[in-house]
Formats: sequence, structure tokens, C-alpha cells
Amino acid sequence: MPQKDRIKRLSFFTASVSWVLLLVNVLLLAYQRHTGEETLGQDYLSNLFSVVFILSVFTFQRFRLEPHATAGFTKPLWHLFVKGGLGAYVCLLLNVGYPNLNLYWANPYLLDIFYQILFGFLVYFLGKAFYTWRQFILYQKTKDLQTQWKWFEILLYVSLLVPLLNVEYMKFIFLMLDLALLLAYSVYMSVHLRWVAFLSLDRKWGSIFLLTAILASVVLFGNFLFQYSDSPELVIDYTDNPFILLTLAFVFTYTLSSFLVAVFSLPTSKVFEQKNADLRNFQRLSQTIQQGQSEEEVYSILFDSAIKASGADSAWLETGEEGRSGIPPAHNEGAEQALMDHIKSGLTRAHKERGTLHQDSIFLEGDLRHNPAFVGADLPFYSLLVMPLVSTKRKYGHLYLLREVEQGFDQDTIDVVQSFTNQTVLTIENLRLVQESLQNERYKEELKIASLVQDRLIPKTFPTDTWFEISTYSQAAKEVGGDFYDFLQLSESRIAIIIGDVSGKGISAAFHMAQMKGIFHGLMQQDLLPDEFMVQANSALSRCLERTSFITSALYIIDYKMQGVSFARAGHCHTLYYNSMMEDTFYFQTEGLGLGIMRDASYAKRIHRLHYDYNPGDVMVIYTDGIVEARSEDQDEYGEDRLKYMLSQTYHLEAEDIKSAIINDVTDFTNDTLHDDQTLLVIKFKQRQPNN
Amino acid sequence: MKIKHTISDNTITISLDGELDASSSVMLDEELSNPSIMMFSKILVDCKNLNYISSAGLGVFISHLQRFEDAQIKLIFFNMQEKVRNVFEILGLDLLMTIVSSYEEAVTIAND
Repeated sequence: MPQKDRIKRLSFFTASVSWVLLLVNVLLLAYQRHTGEETLGQDYLSNLFSVVFILSVFTFQRFRLEPHATAGFTKPLWHLFVKGGLGAYVCLLLNVGYPNLNLYWANPYLLDIFYQILFGFLVYFLGKAFYTWRQFILYQKTKDLQTQWKWFEILLYVSLLVPLLNVEYMKFIFLMLDLALLLAYSVYMSVHLRWVAFLSLDRKWGSIFLLTAILASVVLFGNFLFQYSDSPELVIDYTDNPFILLTLAFVFTYTLSSFLVAVFSLPTSKVFEQKNADLRNFQRLSQTIQQGQSEEEVYSILFDSAIKASGADSAWLETGEEGRSGIPPAHNEGAEQALMDHIKSGLTRAHKERGTLHQDSIFLEGDLRHNPAFVGADLPFYSLLVMPLVSTKRKYGHLYLLREVEQGFDQDTIDVVQSFTNQTVLTIENLRLVQESLQNERYKEELKIASLVQDRLIPKTFPTDTWFEISTYSQAAKEVGGDFYDFLQLSESRIAIIIGDVSGKGISAAFHMAQMKGIFHGLMQQDLLPDEFMVQANSALSRCLERTSFITSALYIIDYKMQGVSFARAGHCHTLYYNSMMEDTFYFQTEGLGLGIMRDASYAKRIHRLHYDYNPGDVMVIYTDGIVEARSEDQDEYGEDRLKYMLSQTYHLEAEDIKSAIINDVTDFTNDTLHDDQTLLVIKFKQRQPNN
Repeated sequence: MKIKHTISDNTITISLDGELDASSSVMLDEELSNPSIMMFSKILVDCKNLNYISSAGLGVFISHLQRFEDAQIKLIFFNMQEKVRNVFEILGLDLLMTIVSSYEEAVTIAND
């Protein structure tokens, strides 16, 4: 604000210059009076300079002290005392020194100089005090108050004109009346003391101390002003300046009323502080969610706040819900186990006696020692308050508060503690919701990655040849991701096909899928037989699969030179087959244990190899359990029989069409709801034709 | 999914009610991981009301299988529904685990 700075600098400069000019003029006048010689000094100049001085000091302070004060009130008070009030004490020193000085060095101008210094300090102090009090009066202002203050200021400044006109205003009754009214106005302004209510107890004591010091300054200033006003040596006296008198009166009344109000509000401060603390604690409870704090911290805040709000001598908080494992957080303040047991057993008896089996209501007892339910326990407490932490859905626990005095909990306290517990329950529930949604978010992200991995692991290009057709289908369910299949050309006439399903879901399933794919490509370089492959894959997976995971898989090696398929099944779904010579559809019923279930050498006994010579026109259907376990709305399973029937109806079609027919049927059956991954491979063998 | 257990002498009978999927298998795992279960020499699993078992559910049984075998605790399933039994069979688990049709049969085998 360069404008304000300019005004401040200018007013400071004018004030200094006008005060020096005033002093010079006063000295000239004094010289004139002593010697009788004519000088440049004029009476009206004194008045003019003093008015200019007052005006510039007040303007300076007006722009220095902005009306929007913060809640810290001791700082402005301290500034007022140090920068303004101390002037009175400086004058006190001068005053004490003056008679002695006068004795040794009788100078007719000494008093005038002293009086001008006093005047300078006084005006500075008044300006500072006036605008400091404006800050205080306008704290939490209303529109009316602002207008009233504006007029108060204007009217006061108007009274500055009186000395300029050089009238003996004491003689004019109407002027006197006006000034009396203005005085009444300033007394009225002094009732605006809201700021005192916002002081804490410590600050109130500090303010009272400062106000006393400021009050002493006002009295000292006033005293000096009037003490010398009648001295014949004095050329000019300010006791007939109405502006000075009015502001002095205003500053005095406001300081005094502030002091009195501060003193008398001391006993109630504690109550206000308590209410403020309650409010802050309440706020803290509701803010804990945003700050991402834990439930334990929320309970801690509740516990501490409730003890502070109720003034309990002993307390404990029991939390922990049914169906939630983990050690419940223990909060205890001066309550021993024996005491807690006594109270709780007494409480059960009391509930029984009262016939209130509903234990989740507030329990209040103000005379424990004489209550039959608690008699005999010899408790050191008279009052007990039990506050349940319940929501419509859950019970979170109980808060026990004890006081040594009788009827120690009033309705107000109970209300506050209850709002704390309500807020706590709300906060806990919100906290859980937030955590849940975070968890879901993470889970979704994980699934996205998993399905991406799954998508990459499944081959996009299929082996094409003249002796067979192959058609594939793969659809991942939202929740489960574990199906995979792959091909590997072993030699010109042999191809390996693997299909599998990894247990589990999300990242870990995708990870095991990738491992399985690696194992397939790695091991098949050695051109293993299907059962040998399974044994070695089992041994490899035993080292990396977690205990609860396993993989079902089936491996097929098709040799078209020999026109045969050899395969092994490791816990995977049976293979569906259509034999065109016999015109028969059936499942290959072989035995074979899933991978990762038995993790030692005995696994070799659990896996078998089957060899089958195929004919052109034969169809082999390989799938995962997502197909046969697909469920209809009535929770019926699609089943092997229905799949078999479908093939027996469609075997004459091309592989692509057989696949489409089956998938359409499955989708119809489930009404398009997917519970599990579905993978389907249809292989149709054809007449061997020479490769060109 | 509800899991109930009844105890007599050295036998604990665990009844499974509902669908044993990824979320409910955690409960079952907690139940079977409880150290006190090792005090029994026979664990009978009543599958009468078990309508569905997912790979996660199977994984729980598989992971505890070896532990029970080492401690010479007999794990016997009974009253298994056809489709659930089918899952066990396809995976080859019927050869590793004892699955019988009725409670009486389970008790007889357990006492062998």
C-alpha cells in the first residue's frame, strides 16, 4: 500500500515539524512576556500548530493501526503501553526532577519546555490509545457499530475546530451541552467490550496487568496536564482544548471499563475455555478422517476429550466388536482391573434391577455408594457415567467415566460427552468406508494389471496347417484370472498344446500363469513326453507356488505323421472327443493330480499318459472349468453332459463353427453372466495333405 | 458361508454350509490353522450343505493336508454333493483324501 505509506510518512513529518514550530512559538511568546519585546510569536499560531500536530499524530496512528485486529489482544495492549504509556513515566521523571532543576537553574522557559514535551507525549499516547481502542471496539463489528464509530470520530474531530476559532467555549452553554453529549457518546462507546470474552485465562491476567499500567499512564498524564495549567509562567495550556479532554476522557473510561470487565469475567473464563476446548476436540474428531488417521487415534482423541470435558477422576474405554479379531485398544486413566470388574458386575446387577436389559443406553448414577447394586464394592467414587458407542449397524464399545463427587455429571456434560461419542462412531464408520474404497481401488488396479498380463500371455497367432483346424475362445471373468493356453511347434510334424488354470486371482494368478508358460517353453525344448513334462513341471512349481495355490493343466502332443495324440491330464477337465469312425462322442477318463498339490517325488505315480490314434474328421474339445461350471440364473451347472451333447450335434461343422455353437449355448445358458474365466479350444483333424 | 463345529472326545466335526469361495476360504483357513485343532486325532468334514467349492477353497484343504498327515490326524469328508465331489475327482484329490458318503461310514473309517 504505497498510498498509506505515503500518508504515514507525510503525517509523521508534519507532526515533527509542527511540534518543533509549536515549541519555538511558545518560547518566543514566553520571551515576549518576560521582556516585553515584540517577537514573531503569536497566540493563534500556537493554536494552529497544536491542532496541526494533533491532527497529524492522529492521522499517523489512524493509518498505522488497521481496524481489523486478530484475536491476539495482548500484543496491541503491550504496544500501547510500551510505545504510548511509557511517555507518562518519562514525564513523571521530568516532574520529579523539575523542582530541583528549577532551584539550581531558574529558567522561566523550563516549565514551558516541559509542558510541551508532556503535550507531545500525551497526544502521541492519546492517538495510539484511541486507535487501539478502535481495533478492540470494532472486533466482531456490526454495521450499526461501524456507523456509530464513524460519527463518533467525525464529531470528535469537529471539536478540534474550537481552539482554532479562539472562543471561550466554557461561556457558551450550547457548546458545553454539545461537549457533554459527546462525552456521553464516548461513555457509550466504552461498553463495546466483546474482545474480553475471547481472552483465555492466562491472557486475561496479562491484559489486566497491562490495563492497570495503561490506566496509571492516563491518570499520570491527566494529573500533569492539570497540575501546571494554572502556573502563571505557562504561556499556553491545553486544559481548555476540548478535543484533548474528550479523548482523554474516552481513553480513560474505555481502559477502566475494560479493566473492570476483565477482572469480573475472570471467574467465568474457565467455563468459556472449557467450551472452546470441547469445540476444538469435536473439530479434531471430525478432521481425523481427512488426515488419514487410524481408528486407534480416533479413540484416543475421544478418550482424552471426554475426560477433559467431564472432569472425570478415573475412566476407561472398552472397544472391540463382535466378529472382529485383534487386540482391542486399551485406554485407561487411573482405573484398576479390580475396580473395572466391580463396576461392570454392579452395572449388570443395576440393569437387572431396573429391568433395562437394553444395555446400550446411557447409564448414569450419581450416588454409587448407596446404590444397592454397587454396595459392598467400597468404591472410592460416587458418580458413574457409562456411554455406549453404537451406530445403527454396530456396537463399538463403552466409555466409562467416574467422579469422586456426588451427582458429578450434569446434563450439559452428558450432552457434550454424547456428542463426542456420536462423532467418534461417525468418524470410525467413515474411516472404514474410506479404507474400503481405497482397498477396492487397489484391487481394481491389480485386476487391470492381471488381465493385461493374461492377455499378453495368451498367443494371438495360431498354428495353421493343412492337417488340422484350430479355433480358440478365451474370456476372462472380472474377478478371477487364471486360465491360459499355448502352443509350441516341436518339429515339423509335431505340435504341443497346453491348457491350464491357476488357482487364485489377481496379480498372483497372473504371475503363476507367466511361470507356467515359462516352464512349458523351457521344458518342452527337451521334447518331453506329456507325463514327464507334468512331473518336471510339478517339481519346478513346488519351489515357487505358495502352499494354498495349485495349477490344473493338460498337455497334448499331436503327431500328424503318426496320426496320433498323446496327452496327460494334471487335475484339469476331461478332454471331450468325437470319433468320426465310430460316430461316438465321449470323454477321456484319465487320472491325474493337479500340479503343486503333492510336492515330492511321489507325484510321478499320480500322473498318466494316454495315446490315441486319430482319424480325419475327429474333433477334440479342450476347455477349462469355467465352461462346465458356468451357472444359470437358477444356479444350475452347464455340465459335461450338455457339452458332450453340443459336440454330438455339431461335429460335422468346421472347428470355428463348433466353437461358436458351444459358446453361444453357454452364453444362452448363463444369460451372459460370467462367474469364472472361460477358455475353449476346438481342434478338428483333417486328411493329411502334402505341404507345398 | 457358515462354519460350525461339534466336538466329541478326540473327534471334531466341521460342518460347512454355503459356498466356499475366495472370501469364505479365509474363515476356513483360520479355523484349520487354529493350534487347538491339532489336539484332535480325527477331523470329519460334513459337506452336506456345501454347494460350491472354488479353487481357493480347495487350496485351503490342500495346504493343511500335509500337516495333518504328518501329525497322523485323519481328515475325512462325508455327505459330499455330486458336483462338489466331481471337482475333487477331476483334480485328483479323491485319491489323496478320504471321501465317504455318510457320517456312519466316516466314523467307522476314523476308528480303524
